[in-house]
Amino acid sequence: MASASARVAPIVETQEEDTPLSQLCRYWLNERHAPDILPAQEELLSSLLDHIRRQSEAVQLLRGEPSASEEEHIRIMLVQMEVERVKFIVRSYVRTRLFKIEKFARFIMTDATIQTRITTAERAHASRHAHLTDRHFHNSVLQSLPETQSHLDDAPVFVPPMITKPDENRPVFVHALNDCAPIRFHEDLTLEMKRGHISLMPFSFIQSLLAKGDVELI
Amino acid sequence: MSSDTRQFGDLATQLVMESRRSTQTDTLLKYNDSLVRSLIREQRDLEKTAESFETSDRDPPPALLILQTVVIRNKRCLLAYHAHRIDRLRDLYWAVGGALPHILSNQDIRSKLSPHEVDYLREYNSSVMEFRSEFSHELDITANITNPPKDLHVLVHVVKDCGVIQTELGSIDFQKGQRFMDLAPLLFNAWLIPLPPVSQWACLTAVQSEAVGAVVLAEST
Repeated sequence: MASASARVAPIVETQEEDTPLSQLCRYWLNERHAPDILPAQEELLSSLLDHIRRQSEAVQLLRGEPSASEEEHIRIMLVQMEVERVKFIVRSYVRTRLFKIEKFARFIMTDATIQTRITTAERAHASRHAHLTDRHFHNSVLQSLPETQSHLDDAPVFVPPMITKPDENRPVFVHALNDCAPIRFHEDLTLEMKRGHISLMPFSFIQSLLAKGDVELI
Repeated sequence: MSSDTRQFGDLATQLVMESRRSTQTDTLLKYNDSLVRSLIREQRDLEKTAESFETSDRDPPPALLILQTVVIRNKRCLLAYHAHRIDRLRDLYWAVGGALPHILSNQDIRSKLSPHEVDYLREYNSSVMEFRSEFSHELDITANITNPPKDLHVLVHVVKDCGVIQTELGSIDFQKGQRFMDLAPLLFNAWLIPLPPVSQWACLTAVQSEAVGAVVLAEST
């Protein structure tokens, strides 16, 4: 029995090996589930993109090799397939961020903290997008309205604000990767998540744990 | 005010109902220019009435509060209608893999857009292209993200002359009636530099979006 459990242990560990790809998968899922824009993973992404480029170049070179055997061709195909699948994840990750950036473009332009979480290219896109949307509203509606009504930033009472902000109270499913520091919901309600624990709670409470990498969203 | 028995906000409600219908039926409706114009006219009339209240010497009557609320609501509905439409247009844009000429050359779609919306799409396209150029050495971010790739090669049947297309693997001359195995890079990466004229572009993007149009995906046998 003892030997069996000893044999089981390493399997569990190898599953949790932290390759760049598995890291990206985690960031990708987090990004897809979080209502807010999470910090950009520029280093990870650029190292993966470099890897993809080198891999593709190598594949191109090998494909041109006339002496390659049947078996090698199959291997090359497998590599190509894998590259395509990684590209898919990268693309989905980038596009998820892009979608949120367009949605919150006007908010991003007014808020300094959120700007620290996005890349320069994303920031440029947000700025372009905010201007573009403003201009469209202006051309199709606002310019025809009387002067007093032609602003995009009124804040009348009882009406939701005109700038879309991330909804930080949206509930998310959280999976604890490590034992976490206690979360304080209000005065006498706290939750201490142990490793492996899964829970549903508003996003704002786990934001800091997510940033530390103690939890993941599922 | 006018003699008809319309209530305040009726027009705006109609406009918002149109957006809702568009979402529920998942179609892009024609830009309702006349309704937008009459709403804008209503806004101007309301503004004038409100001003006449404000300039009189007496204390403003309670009706002013109602007028202001209607003005705010109408304006919000107008903006919501336009915002909803550009959201839909962006969805449409991504659904065809960022192939703008494909949308704009489609008469059916084109007739539903307002001139400002066409401008919007053009500028949006150039903004996305600028963002895309960040990644152009490795991958094309405008390609399909609904299904992960399952196969490297796809068999296609060309039903319309497309001309020569540059793919990652070199150039292919697509002619009507031919069949190719090599299209996967086209489908997944959409890395193509088409030759003019625009009609060729349109049939290429049909491949890219997998919309069965100029080029249909044949059953692999």
